Amino acid sequence: MTLAERAPRRAGKRRTRGSRRGEGTAGWLFTLPVVVILGLFLLVPVLMALWVSFSDWSGRGSPLAPGVGFIGLGNYGEILTEGGLATRNLGISMRNVGWYVLLVVPLQTALALFLAVLVNRAILRGRGVFRTAFYFPSVTSSVAITVLWLFLFSTTGVVNEVLSWVGIGGPNWFNDPRGIVHIGLSVFGVDSGPATMTGSDVLGVSWWDWLAGPSVGMSAFILMAIFTTSGTFMLLFIAALQNIGPELGEAGMMDGANAWQRFRRITLPQLRPTLFTVLTLGLIGCWQVFDQIYTGTQGAPGKTTMTPAYLSYQAAFADQKWGQGAAISFILFLIIVFFTLLQRLLLREKGGRS
Amino acid sequence: MKPTARAALAAGGAALAATLLLAGCGQGFEESPDDASSADALTSSSDPLTILFGSSGDAETKAVQDAVAAWSAQSGVQVTATPATNLNQELSQGFAAGSPPDLFYLSPDQIAAYAANGSIEAYGDQLTNKGDFHPSLVRNFTVDGKFYCAPKDFSTLALVINTDMWAEAGLTDADIPTTWEQLDAAAAKLTKGDRAGLAFDAQYQRVGAFTAQAGGRLVSADGTQAVADSPENLAGLEYVKKHLTDGTFAYSADLGAGWGGEAFGKELAAMAIEGNWITGALSADFPDVKYRVAQLPAGPAGQATLQYTNCWGMAADSPNQKAALELVEHLTGTEQQLAFSKAFGPMPSIQSAADRWRTDNPALVAFLDGAAYAQGLPTDVGATDVINDFNAQLESLKSGDPKQILTTVQGNLAPVVGG
Amino acid sequence: MRRARWLAPAGLYALLAALAVIYVFPFLVQVSTSFKTDAEAAGNAVSLLPQTFTVAAYERLFLHSDFPLWFANSAIVTIAVTLGRVFFDSLAGYALARLRFRGRGLVFALIVGVMAVPTVVLLIPKFLVLNQLGIYNSYAGMILPLLVDAAGVFIMKNFFESIPTAVEEQARIDGAGTFRVFWSIVLPMARPALITIIILSFQGSWNELSHFIVATQSPELTTLTKGVASLASGQLSQGTQYPIKLAAAALMTIPVAVLFFIFQRRIMNRSEGAVKE
Repeated sequence: MTLAERAPRRAGKRRTRGSRRGEGTAGWLFTLPVVVILGLFLLVPVLMALWVSFSDWSGRGSPLAPGVGFIGLGNYGEILTEGGLATRNLGISMRNVGWYVLLVVPLQTALALFLAVLVNRAILRGRGVFRTAFYFPSVTSSVAITVLWLFLFSTTGVVNEVLSWVGIGGPNWFNDPRGIVHIGLSVFGVDSGPATMTGSDVLGVSWWDWLAGPSVGMSAFILMAIFTTSGTFMLLFIAALQNIGPELGEAGMMDGANAWQRFRRITLPQLRPTLFTVLTLGLIGCWQVFDQIYTGTQGAPGKTTMTPAYLSYQAAFADQKWGQGAAISFILFLIIVFFTLLQRLLLREKGGRS
Repeated sequence: MKPTARAALAAGGAALAATLLLAGCGQGFEESPDDASSADALTSSSDPLTILFGSSGDAETKAVQDAVAAWSAQSGVQVTATPATNLNQELSQGFAAGSPPDLFYLSPDQIAAYAANGSIEAYGDQLTNKGDFHPSLVRNFTVDGKFYCAPKDFSTLALVINTDMWAEAGLTDADIPTTWEQLDAAAAKLTKGDRAGLAFDAQYQRVGAFTAQAGGRLVSADGTQAVADSPENLAGLEYVKKHLTDGTFAYSADLGAGWGGEAFGKELAAMAIEGNWITGALSADFPDVKYRVAQLPAGPAGQATLQYTNCWGMAADSPNQKAALELVEHLTGTEQQLAFSKAFGPMPSIQSAADRWRTDNPALVAFLDGAAYAQGLPTDVGATDVINDFNAQLESLKSGDPKQILTTVQGNLAPVVGG
Repeated sequence: MRRARWLAPAGLYALLAALAVIYVFPFLVQVSTSFKTDAEAAGNAVSLLPQTFTVAAYERLFLHSDFPLWFANSAIVTIAVTLGRVFFDSLAGYALARLRFRGRGLVFALIVGVMAVPTVVLLIPKFLVLNQLGIYNSYAGMILPLLVDAAGVFIMKNFFESIPTAVEEQARIDGAGTFRVFWSIVLPMARPALITIIILSFQGSWNELSHFIVATQSPELTTLTKGVASLASGQLSQGTQYPIKLAAAALMTIPVAVLFFIFQRRIMNRSEGAVKE
């Protein structure tokens, strides 16, 4: 909202310059196409979806037709509190995407920053080549990259073959529904959770299952997200690093600080705005992951790659539960808004202290 | 912040006004005709017909389009038949848009939901060849006593056997399993190294054959209650689990194959449980693999298999239902069904074509024999979702607790059955 | 300290080279696999040299599938969307940066507001609105909703605010109308920003999937993303068929890759822009 706050101020400043004839008309004419299209295809749809999420529309004819009834929070109740299959599906999809976000966002940010710092070294020759290599995955479409990933991570695919060179029998990636935390625990002989964790549940999923971790299948998608987005974010970090310039680093060097200390004390604080941008963009993107699931697994294995976005699509377009589908998408919307605001708050407070 | 907030509110208001405006003009949606009108009155007009079908491949696409074109030339009614990229999605978009195709493939698990919101026409009783369809198929497409749509064809599951491996393991025709015990023995002999004796997909649509052979069902025969947690189903799952654990059975995914036919074609397994469609896939992708088809063995409760079928759904909003009905009668006629069967595999849905089909396909009679004892999947609204959830749990059957799985299924199924 | 300085480059290069291999190798495997037979693709996934070199996958794509049609549809939509965005985004960006008119705050609030809406929320309702407008399942329905983007307006607005107003003022004094000033004076100066818009909208619309899923159903309107996605789930025939899928995926990457190499410098130096997830 920083941008929004800035707008009226700027407008105010310019007012002193005096007005010109016809500018008002021109202004509206110039912005009209954008206003109409954004209004029609973004704002109106959101309002329409809001209505559908409160209605009993069954998917035949117009949702605005007279016969469609308002059922209040009925759809929301069914997916949040009634504890049936709809609730369980939402719970599972939230578990899946939760782990996805939890792993992808920090890892892609760290990797992007790491690559940016490496590539940005002044001594480096041929940095263009490396930048190109790291960025290239970002230009490909999620459909193309998913097709490639399905191949790389197939049972007898490239990844498992490479793993076998070092004596590791790779998993059956996209067919393995086991959560990686559960796999880790079973190494220590823990195969089922304590009764306290299996006995009670949230959204139809037991605490033990919430903690299962991303499935092996989902982990392949996690690696894919890190692979494809780290390049883009790397560019943002490089731009920021170049703005900082070398002077500060030199100053630190005089104090005898080592590379890591210089980076942590001097560079990192300066990167905070970029870090915020990267984390926010990453978070927003990760919560809505859809294309990969649609192209690749459709939620399999064992619903462990089912995400709320795909669940919403499936509920509406495949199962005729349009109200539920719309309700799921709004719950997702609220979650994204909540986390964006929360992150903003946390980063701001941290900044205030130092 | 204040002026912005006000502006945002104003913008919201403008959009709301636009929504109302849209509601007012309501061009894209056509008013649906009165549902109260008697089912017998089919609409009639000179409008061209559109058909949406889910194709298994080029062969099916061509066969359907050719058959439709032939009828079109003969009847003078214009018809376009389009293969869908995603049938369920495109169908639901069509209904929501008020412009559904006139005819379309419709699976039994979708029929209840579309019947409930009045999207589809119940035209079954007006078919002149109504009495010719296999009764079990007609039951599959009957909701609340109304026979909705004509079964277009059907398939059953059978046991597909790699004959080279069979002979290599020292097995003869006499060893073709007719009981679970014989299946155990054959699968054990055929399991070798990475190769599994028997492969099938990790879904109720395959595993369900075993629970049915144990006498289990998901929904009681009269369709009034969920019976997923029965001891029979448990016995079926326990049996499958036992052999997944000892390695003589394997899920096709665990063998690195996309489905049972691929596992079989790549010789990752010596036997597979699949339906009629496997024959086309094998001859196209794995022409060198020699095989024979046998009926599934009997379990503790006798012989059982699962059947799969689609019908020719008709939109309630179709402006030319009379012509559509004639087209359906043509497409489900004896000659046409035998031609379809030849082109892409499934068996004719009518009894009058059975004998000729047997003569034409002597190697595949096991599939047709299955029709006598085949079960369909539950068709209640929401049952698909329950089965999907069941499938998700079946994937981890090897490490899971069958009893626990069935309890969950029962919990999910009970609310959707008998509604 | 000194020793570290000498050692650092070697270690740095080794590390970077290793990382670069990880990033590039998948694409090399993709291209080589597309020239393999089905059996070899499944059996010997890693090798970069096909034992039996075959173009069967490409033959099938070009001669016996709708691939050329998908490609044409993607091209039509991408070109229309890119042109539209270049024009409308800069028009609106200019108005917001330079022109004074009542309701500017409101327009700006709308643009900022819709930027916050996640696209996935729009999946269901966008279909409903397209349908209500009677443009569902048409090129109009595929193109119109993508024709402007809030982020693009933003980039243009910021750019126009960063360039001096002197030239425009002079033109105005000479009596040029607002649109003339915009078209013949301001727009030519905006080349760098326009290139950014071109890159973003080309990449964005070429790679778009979910909008096309809900906006169309006819096979004649299938785009590359939608078509290849259906290919991935086994539409052309059953089985894994990696060569044909990877060939399709590789082909659909070419246009964006070409764009990328043309504007490489510009992309590498941009600090703003949308991010694909």
